[in-house]
Amino acid sequence: MGGPTLKASRFGWLAPPLALAALCGLVPHMVGFNQYYILVATRIAIVASVALSWNIIGGLAGQLDLASSAYLGLGGILAAELMIKYGVTPWIGMLAGAAASAGVAFLIGYPLFRFGIREVWYALSTVALVVVLHELAIVLMGPFDYYVPPVEGWYYLRFRTWENLYYVSLVLLAFVIVVNLWVSRSKLGYYLKAIREDETAAEALGVDVRKYKLLALLIYATLVGFAGYLYVVTQRTYSYKTFSAPFSIYIAVIGIVGGLGSVDGILLAAAMLGMAEEYLRATFGGTLPGLHLLVYGLLLVTVGVLRPEGLATVTRRLLRPVRTRFLGGESA
Amino acid sequence: MLPSPSLIVQSLVDGVFLGFLFSLVALGLSLVFGVMGFINFAHGDFLMASAYLVWVLASSLRTEPLATAALTVPLFFVVGAAVYFLVARPLLGREPLMQIAVTVGVGYVLQNVALMSFRAEPRASLSYALNTYFGLGPVSVHAAKLVAALMSFAIVVGLDYLLKRTWFGLAVRATAYDRETAMLMGVDVNKVYVAVFGLGIALTALASSLWMTFGQVDPYLGASFGLVSWIVIALGGLGGVPGILASSLIIGVVQSLTTNIVSPSVKMAAASVVFLLVLWFRPRGLFGKV
Amino acid sequence: MSSEPILRVEGLVKRFGGVVALNGVSLEVRRGEILGIIGPNGSGKTTLVNCVTGIYRPDFGRVYLLGEDITGEPPHLVASKGVARTWQKVRPFAKMTVLEAVMAGALLRTGDVEEARREAVNVLTMIGFPREKFDSPGRSISLVEHKLVDLARAVATRPKLLLVDEIVAGLRPHEVEAMVGVIRRVNKELGVTLGVIEHVMRFIVSISDRVVVLHEGRLIAEGPPSEVVQNPLVVEAYLGTRPM
Repeated sequence: MGGPTLKASRFGWLAPPLALAALCGLVPHMVGFNQYYILVATRIAIVASVALSWNIIGGLAGQLDLASSAYLGLGGILAAELMIKYGVTPWIGMLAGAAASAGVAFLIGYPLFRFGIREVWYALSTVALVVVLHELAIVLMGPFDYYVPPVEGWYYLRFRTWENLYYVSLVLLAFVIVVNLWVSRSKLGYYLKAIREDETAAEALGVDVRKYKLLALLIYATLVGFAGYLYVVTQRTYSYKTFSAPFSIYIAVIGIVGGLGSVDGILLAAAMLGMAEEYLRATFGGTLPGLHLLVYGLLLVTVGVLRPEGLATVTRRLLRPVRTRFLGGESA
Repeated sequence: MLPSPSLIVQSLVDGVFLGFLFSLVALGLSLVFGVMGFINFAHGDFLMASAYLVWVLASSLRTEPLATAALTVPLFFVVGAAVYFLVARPLLGREPLMQIAVTVGVGYVLQNVALMSFRAEPRASLSYALNTYFGLGPVSVHAAKLVAALMSFAIVVGLDYLLKRTWFGLAVRATAYDRETAMLMGVDVNKVYVAVFGLGIALTALASSLWMTFGQVDPYLGASFGLVSWIVIALGGLGGVPGILASSLIIGVVQSLTTNIVSPSVKMAAASVVFLLVLWFRPRGLFGKV
Repeated sequence: MSSEPILRVEGLVKRFGGVVALNGVSLEVRRGEILGIIGPNGSGKTTLVNCVTGIYRPDFGRVYLLGEDITGEPPHLVASKGVARTWQKVRPFAKMTVLEAVMAGALLRTGDVEEARREAVNVLTMIGFPREKFDSPGRSISLVEHKLVDLARAVATRPKLLLVDEIVAGLRPHEVEAMVGVIRRVNKELGVTLGVIEHVMRFIVSISDRVVVLHEGRLIAEGPPSEVVQNPLVVEAYLGTRPM
């Protein structure tokens, strides 16, 4: 008899993410400090952080948000501009970026949720947000690429080699994982899952659907806005193109392929897709542009039509024979 | 600096022409959404795929782009039916998030196959017969755009008639209203779904032939047509053809005005802002009931 | 007993387009009772529940909960003030486990997830839900189990008034019998006042302290179950012979 009566120690759930973070901390040593691999690993850690932040609105609350690049771009561009124009350290800039994207999320989300905008209309309004910011940025910033200046050190959070940024990204990722685990174990998490299942039924149980959806959106936008500067640094440039619909879709692809609500599935998906994208781009980028996007498309269709729960079920299925052999008996 | 009145009038006329074409594309999407409750984010990408087919046919056979519709429209009806069985049917009744995600995936496949096959440069297959302008007071009218607008209007109105006056239309409307009752009344709901999905995709093929008489195609053409179609549905509610026509014209004019007066690079942002404003202030659409 | 009724509904009118679903319904649910609300299909029973729980806003009339006017308040506020409901057409939480779904209800009265878990286990045990299925996902259980989870979810919010909408529709006779016991227990052991909406006469007669009859959006009879079933107006409404 497991589940309902079994009670883990109060902070036991923190152990796996911390162990994982420690393991990931060894990656630079494993790749012999090869800068390209460390950069790829850094990007994957940042994208995984964004995807796990998205998991709160998309996976737990079930709202298909396609605006992650809007919050990432707002946070990143604000922090970078503050640093370049006013010499403000990105540590403060990232907090400002987080606040700015939370502010925009509130402006968008409050009226939408107030009027019960959901499902397709919610997804479309997040697409619209990215389109508006993309085209607004062309007007305000011009069609140019801006470079993060070659300043170095912890004050600027930019280094000659990538290890330090990688460690910073790992800390961010660990933090986002802890937030995810905490949310899904809290009242908020149960309410978000109930909203995802059936808003009307959740409301009848006393769930203030608007409030909790807005809360989920704000947590997500804050975390993504905070990560923005790290993303800009790994991209080396920023521009109107940072507000990118394909990037936002990529984040949702990771969430869906990994399995909505599943932290380990999303981590796995972020790592696999990240490496696959690097490989496909490096190998076929010149001859077959868009191959990686084609692969995402096929993945979405396959996962959506055949395996609605994503990699989470795949890993469970793969592990099942092992579990049966060593633990005896089939668990549901 | 104020734009000249003649520029405004010209933009209005161009916007109205464009709006009629939008209504043709949006009608198919709204039928699929309204009747089946299926959310298709790849609708515009079928238009893009068909536009490439038009380009290939028109340039290899040296025919008018419009003539290719005789081939592309039936072909895309079949394509639509196939997509229905492969993708839409397994997802009917599933959560909207999955429908959106999967159709985004279908769109990605179409876009990137197009990108690999035709590269990113825009392709055009201008109509020889229709590529003329004639003056109408201060306005210069592009014959191709006028023909596209008139044909779109005729077909949209014709379909409206079909939906209101024929047995097929009755079956479609009954299915949209209450699937189970329609089944009890002897409507083969599955057939209605195939027909509606096929029709929706076939309309994008028709629209692409009209578009290619004056426009050009690149892999991302569909993304903007798809977004515009959804915005039209949001504005028009699901109230039917008059709502779709009116909101298509509004979006056409908004895009044409911003293109001519501000910059072509902000025309989608303008449409998006209209969309967000409508969601905030008139969540049931500009013309009432959903 | 003449204490303040738990629920008082006055002159409720609800129209949908040209159809009048409720045409001036007034009734009371008294503290501690099981009130049966019956009527043929389309008589306005579910519309009444939706108007009370805030899903619909009535066109006219007021709804009072323990004397407080709650007309037109949003559903989540009505729920937190103490009105819970179940659904005629089950609305399962397919991907959540049975226990999690009931916890979502219990979390209305506590912020502590462990406390909610204990409460959910208690409620599920009390209504006799099989313990070995506490961890089954919602999509894998049977219809009667869905109905029980739906009931447990609602009970876990610790309502003052629970509106049960056609809970035995589609159930087999022995399951109906078991459900009578479950609902009595909720009423007696937890002291929850109940409004039981149903069109199966036999069930309502066996369970209710008092019955009201809705027909075409109006209240046509009220009284003890045994009397109401004899009422010629009620018989007519059910047998469908229309007064000319």
